Amino acid sequence: MFKKIITFRPSFTLRVLAGLFGFLLMLSVCMVTYVLDVSANLSERDIQFRGRLIEQGARYYKEQCARCHGADGLGIDGSGPGISNEAFLGKTEFREVDGQRVIVQTTPSKRLAELGYKGTLRDYVRSVIASGLPIKSSNVWADPHPPFSASYGGPFRDDQIDNVTSFVINWAQAPYPDANAIPPAPIGGGVVATAVPLSAEETAGQEVYLKAGCTACHAIKGVGAQGAVGPNLSKIYTVAAERIASEDYKAKLTGQPAATTAEEYIIQSIHHPGAYTVQKCPQGACTAGVMPQTYEQSISAADFKNLIAFLKTRK
Amino acid sequence: MAVIGEKLVKQLRSVGVKGTVAQRLDDAFTRFTSGLSWNDVRGVLRGDPPAKPNPRVKPHTEGFWFHIRPTFYHEAVTTLYPTFRLGMLSALFFLWETITGLYLMIFYTPSPTAAFPNMIDIMTNVPFGKFMRDLHRIGAEGMVIVVTLHMMRTFITASYKKPRQFTWFTGVLLLIITLFLSFSGYLLPWDQLAFWAVTIGTSMADAAPLVGREVNLLLRGAPDIGAGGLLRFYLFHVILFPLIGLVFLFVHYYKVVRFGISLPPEMEAVGDDTARKVPPEKRVNFLPDIATNEIMYTAVTFALLALLSATVFAAPLENHADPKQTPLHTVAPWYFYWLQGLLKIPNVIPGLGFLDSFFVNTLGLTPKVFWGVIMGPALIGLLFIVPYVDPNPSRRYGDRKVMLGIGAAFTALILYLSLAGRPLGVPLTGFGFVGGDPAVEVGQEFIPDEGEGIVKEMSFEALVPGSFEVNGSPNTGAAELDKLIRDINEDISIRKQQGDPNGRLMPADAKGSIQIEEIQVDVRKFTLFIDYTDAKGKPQKFQKYIFLHKESGYAH
Repeated sequence: MFKKIITFRPSFTLRVLAGLFGFLLMLSVCMVTYVLDVSANLSERDIQFRGRLIEQGARYYKEQCARCHGADGLGIDGSGPGISNEAFLGKTEFREVDGQRVIVQTTPSKRLAELGYKGTLRDYVRSVIASGLPIKSSNVWADPHPPFSASYGGPFRDDQIDNVTSFVINWAQAPYPDANAIPPAPIGGGVVATAVPLSAEETAGQEVYLKAGCTACHAIKGVGAQGAVGPNLSKIYTVAAERIASEDYKAKLTGQPAATTAEEYIIQSIHHPGAYTVQKCPQGACTAGVMPQTYEQSISAADFKNLIAFLKTRK
Repeated sequence: MAVIGEKLVKQLRSVGVKGTVAQRLDDAFTRFTSGLSWNDVRGVLRGDPPAKPNPRVKPHTEGFWFHIRPTFYHEAVTTLYPTFRLGMLSALFFLWETITGLYLMIFYTPSPTAAFPNMIDIMTNVPFGKFMRDLHRIGAEGMVIVVTLHMMRTFITASYKKPRQFTWFTGVLLLIITLFLSFSGYLLPWDQLAFWAVTIGTSMADAAPLVGREVNLLLRGAPDIGAGGLLRFYLFHVILFPLIGLVFLFVHYYKVVRFGISLPPEMEAVGDDTARKVPPEKRVNFLPDIATNEIMYTAVTFALLALLSATVFAAPLENHADPKQTPLHTVAPWYFYWLQGLLKIPNVIPGLGFLDSFFVNTLGLTPKVFWGVIMGPALIGLLFIVPYVDPNPSRRYGDRKVMLGIGAAFTALILYLSLAGRPLGVPLTGFGFVGGDPAVEVGQEFIPDEGEGIVKEMSFEALVPGSFEVNGSPNTGAAELDKLIRDINEDISIRKQQGDPNGRLMPADAKGSIQIEEIQVDVRKFTLFIDYTDAKGKPQKFQKYIFLHKESGYAH
């Protein structure tokens, strides 16, 4: 058997037949490939790769975007607005057009209309991810959207930005109701509505808080203040009441009379920050003398009254 | 003008208009074939015996293409044995790769930003794009196999002996060129597979003593592979290596024609070389016998490749290359597994550890330099000198037991090293095993960092949103998901009982769970958790996730 195989010499007829068969087989494979592959599979693979790139986008979104916009895209209070809601994305659906599946925008984005943006939603999302927002346009968020494109110092290559964009826009098929999302900043700055309804005086106080420089160091949840140098003031009124009763406060207070109410403690902390330094700050132990001593002069009495009214709502 | 006109008139008068046209056409045809008339060619194709004098030798003396080929072969080399047509197939694969490669070149830009999108474009928008890519890839891997087999055949039949030493030498060069061609093409899709395989490969150059840094810079165009490296590999792949290959292909083939294909060893006496002295009755003419034979082999081989590409074979394409993310268990291409095995040699051949310490301590060489940069190329170098150091004048198998033994040992060594070069190492002994934490390995088993994976290939409908415990009797409502959970459960319990070759055991309290969330329409996130207590008594939570889109179509 082995001998037969290795001394095999095809006859002339066999050669011609086998050669012809091979040639025809190759031809038919190419033709079958054409019929199956080029006409049908090409658009099918197009859809497949669209799905695969969205998967990639989902991964990048989780790694880079979810920390501010939330894993579900509804936004995170104090960090970033919701982007998976109908006001931002509008609504899209797939339709068959000439045998091709295309995405059709059925409800336009309200946000783009509000901004007066001339491009498509995809253009807008892509450009914000890539180049960020160049300037801080409102007081709602501590920082404008940072650039994510490697061209502007971010972590993403162009294709990654495309994939994240595809993922974000994919939410438009079934966007969350607007009421569930953290709304974006109003055009022209201003203050976003928070969970606690504020009086006119308190609202004015919040404006003072956002404009007087407090946000650079002190975070307050829900108003877009994200400073991480001094203590978080989200519950300052409660904290102040506990503080005046603490042994540490009584022992370390220097040069000022001890505050007897929470309000007095807050006033004292702003006007005379050197009198008492708390122990814990976001980045470790607090250092004395970091907080400026000039707020008694720089904030007017009326503004100061509003500011205190606002801080008293942080319980 | 007048002379030509006179001739034409004469011809018209004697054979008429029809005859003149036929004769003139046949003349043109004969000039085109360098000496064969239409009837001669029909005779060749019909298998008729040649006329006397044989007109079929004319193309060999008059024409360019046939002058490259010999006029006749010795009858003894026209059977399947001894050549198995491997040399011819090697050359054909080269041609095959050129044709399919040219097609792919049309749609390709060698730039890190464009290359991968080009790949997707080739797969989804170019007619025959995926088919051509598959053909090119299967051809490349086939060429490595065929060229290696060709060399083994030459070694076994001792065809490298006098006067064919230099033919062998150029053959080894062509083998190296084949490997380099294949390897340089590996990078071009610019996916994770390509990027990391080539990073591993070129890091060898970096480790070379004295010139390593410079060679590495020359290859990669920068300390790491990037735009410069891709462009260089592209130029290597499409210009430099094919050019060198072509030059040595011609030198190699000229020698083959000059000395003739060696006869089977058993037909020759000790020290004889009778391939060139072919008695007239043993001659097999190139036209028509050899030519039709080759056409047949070509057609059948290419049909087979086309059939494989159209059905089972698919060139892999992983995610876009990411220099910041090294996938677990990155490997070189399979034809370089032996080199990876060589790097692990103290773990692969027990007892060789002392060599390591010797070279590190006395010569100041790192194991990577010694095994990878010195011993690896030295193994290839051994092939070059085979014909010059083999003193045995006989080509007969019975006289060459020592050399055939060495060859078999060499082959066994390469195969063994190749096995050991894989992350799993040698079967049974586990030599060369590379693996980490058992929980990470379970993650890699079901959700690999790159490439095809078990979870990835499940049908989307089976991924029912919810949280499930991994145990022996799951009830998720989807049979496929139940099976997956049972498989994961089994994998975890096996790892609890048997340690990996490095002796690492999955902690006994390890408990798996699965979470499937629908995060968008048609997009689900699959997360595998494994909770366990580590050796220090601390609770650990391993998790690995993957996003899957309904339409991404990994399932077959």
